[in-house]
Amino acid sequence: MEQLTPEMILVMAMIGVAVFLFIVEWVRVDVVAILMMVALPLLHLVTPKEAFIGLSSNAVVSIIAVIIIGAGLDRTGIINKMVKPIVRIAGNSPSRIVIAISFTVAIISSFMQNIGAAALFLPAIQRVSKSLRIPISRLLMPIGFSAILGGTVTLVGSSPLILLNDLIAPFNLKPFGLFDVTPIGLGLVISGIACFVLFGKFILPKGPDAASDQQGQEDGSSPLEEIGEAYELKTPDDFTHYRDPVRIDDLRRRYLVNVVAIVEPPDFKIVNPPPDMELRSGMDLAVYGVERDVKRMAEQEGMFLKDSLQVFQNEVAEGTSGAVEAVVAPRSPLVGKTLRQIDLQDRFRVTPLAIYRHGEIYRAEIGDLALGVGDAILLHGTWKRLKALQGEKSLLFTTPIDVDLMRPEKAVFAGFWLATALIMIMIFKIQLSVCLMTGALGMVITKVLTIDEAYQSVDWRTIFLLAGLIPLGIATEKTGTAAWIAHAVLNTIGTVNPMVLLSIIGLLSTVFTLVVSNVGATVLLVPLVVNMAIAANADPRMAALVVGLATNNSFILPTHQVNALYMGPGRYRSVDFMKAGAVVSVVFLAVLIGIISLVYGI
Amino acid sequence: MAIITISRGSYSKGKEVAEKVAARLGYECISREVLLDASDRFNIPEVRLIRAIHDAPSILDRFSHGKQAFMAYIRYALACRAQKDNLVYHGLAGHVLLLGIPHVLKVRVIANLEDRVKSEMSREKISEEEARSLILRDDQERRKWTRSLYGLDPWDSALYDLVLHIHKLTVDDAVAFICEAAKLKQFESTPETRRKMDDLVTACEVKALLADEYMDVRVACEFGNVLIYTKSGGRLQHKLQESARKLGREIKGIHHVEVHPGVPTPAQAV
Repeated sequence: MEQLTPEMILVMAMIGVAVFLFIVEWVRVDVVAILMMVALPLLHLVTPKEAFIGLSSNAVVSIIAVIIIGAGLDRTGIINKMVKPIVRIAGNSPSRIVIAISFTVAIISSFMQNIGAAALFLPAIQRVSKSLRIPISRLLMPIGFSAILGGTVTLVGSSPLILLNDLIAPFNLKPFGLFDVTPIGLGLVISGIACFVLFGKFILPKGPDAASDQQGQEDGSSPLEEIGEAYELKTPDDFTHYRDPVRIDDLRRRYLVNVVAIVEPPDFKIVNPPPDMELRSGMDLAVYGVERDVKRMAEQEGMFLKDSLQVFQNEVAEGTSGAVEAVVAPRSPLVGKTLRQIDLQDRFRVTPLAIYRHGEIYRAEIGDLALGVGDAILLHGTWKRLKALQGEKSLLFTTPIDVDLMRPEKAVFAGFWLATALIMIMIFKIQLSVCLMTGALGMVITKVLTIDEAYQSVDWRTIFLLAGLIPLGIATEKTGTAAWIAHAVLNTIGTVNPMVLLSIIGLLSTVFTLVVSNVGATVLLVPLVVNMAIAANADPRMAALVVGLATNNSFILPTHQVNALYMGPGRYRSVDFMKAGAVVSVVFLAVLIGIISLVYGI
Repeated sequence: MAIITISRGSYSKGKEVAEKVAARLGYECISREVLLDASDRFNIPEVRLIRAIHDAPSILDRFSHGKQAFMAYIRYALACRAQKDNLVYHGLAGHVLLLGIPHVLKVRVIANLEDRVKSEMSREKISEEEARSLILRDDQERRKWTRSLYGLDPWDSALYDLVLHIHKLTVDDAVAFICEAAKLKQFESTPETRRKMDDLVTACEVKALLADEYMDVRVACEFGNVLIYTKSGGRLQHKLQESARKLGREIKGIHHVEVHPGVPTPAQAV
């Protein structure tokens, strides 16, 4: 066995630092990656050129192109249109709807970023849930898992697989083709959906109806809808006599009732009035609140509660304004901020009504809560203002707003360029990044999306996470660290059957991906397992492939972005992910190893 | 129509002042009664409560958080008494326990150290040296207690509406001043102040019922809407939410309960 050199120790120390920072999250993961990108050349573990080679790598360019293509498809709105016929075909049976939507998501996710596909479908799923009265928790988890599994269907489906060819290049192994993984990926998708169809009753959380029985009547079955009830009140003529001024914010704090529109006498209407506005005599108010609270307020403040909306029929009616649920998107700039800091009221003139998080609803003092990914905020505002907020892209709206930013007429071009890219890859065998970039460029030229929109859609965090971790992989390989660890591990466990080795690799990847993100796990493990496989006389390509696929196996904890996104709208708790995720994860590994041995005959 | 809290050191004539004020205004005068109430309500021997209210928390208390729970019981008992209005309280820490209530007249009665030493010498029949060190130690202990529990210094005059030094001023002078102040409009109870008092009682009750099981919860109540603050989610959060919901149904006057983890606690939370 080789001698342990100081460089190797240094590389291991750097891996240790990276893993440690990934776990404690003192800085964001992409910053850790940039730290590696800078520290490694400074420590002379890689050359400066190698340090930044990740930025121009096939993988990074491919990801950029995939994101742009995804954004282009998104703009045309074809995906939302696909849902309707799918639901029609599926009929009314919840299982068939789950199967149909899950399969569609998986296929779309295989050509897009998983999170992009998941976010695109969220509004449609909520609509289906509402119109067919299927609990949202029965739909979202299977579909979310399918979006992750769909990432294994093609080589561009998920970051680990895109990275794979770059990572095995130094070993002079034959690169994988776009559809080399498809048999395995389809197997994984089918088995994942099957898990939910067969065992859904046992592994999915019970519908909200069952939960509400335990909580009593107060927390009704779907609190968000319960809050979204509009009432109209009028203040009496002597409202301001002999009393301290009452402001809109006071009503919210006292009775948890949100004033969403007022008429200042004689007839000056204000929708979403500022919270510090004083109530005066003879004012009409439109409020959102629980009936009990509204009645209490009317009684204690001496207001007159009208039987129905009268003055505000137009303002609060569906046509001009409404209450919508918006989900905090992953990597949104709003994560970690409180509503008070964001100040939606001032910037967009929309009124936040409630926050839904981890199965709990928050109505009181919501301005103080720091937002997390997947938190659902119920907002009231006019469609125009909500649309402006949607344009910010920090929130995902689950109720579709009539969006004029869409370019449905460009759907043909978008489809054409996607097909062109795929044909170039499959038939002409041109390098992945070049083909995908062609497709992306084509979409820009045919004005499916503008070049600025294309730039904006690229997520720099993903790019730098990938590009920054690549030199760490190079360093592990170049200094011989990977080989050394591989030999050390094999010496301890002795000779093993290739199947057992692949299973261990799969398990190791699963654990790593839960802790250090899928990209981190792939970069660290691929050089290692390739060396191990060579030393153990197994197929090194298959070892790398197992890592690339098994790093998508992150279902047990809601750490994967897709799971984090669906957690709030689905009213899931971490326990729910552990229960369903454990089953799916085990099935995932079994199917993965099974298909590899069948298809590639190990 | 007011609540008067009188904070005092040992041998500072505070008790005498309190009793005379209560007699003149026809108010109830309480101190130890609060401990008895708390001991009755929560089934804790009074001795343990006295120890909680007297000694500064030791290192051990930080782990057992027994003291926190005891203080929550005492605070609830005091808040219940204060809810009835027309009260003179001369126990420890009245000014911090009734924080945020507008119609509380907060008085501190201090006395000349030499006078206090003399009183102690004559009552306990000890030397001047001993008496002095006992008094100083007692002052120190109480100071430490308020500091460690509430982060406030009882000797900070800004905490009080009135600080009276019994030396040139006699006890009767002090009583006259306090009675005069108590008649001021600011200390009259109004529907608004009574509402705040009710909210404080509710918050104290929720806190007292949770304090035994959950460490470091703070409770705020405004207009019957109860907010429970905890440091972070953790594994107890779900349980806490369940208990909170249960309390929300059981305690009268609560309209709404929420648990907010990881949110900065407002100053008025108990």
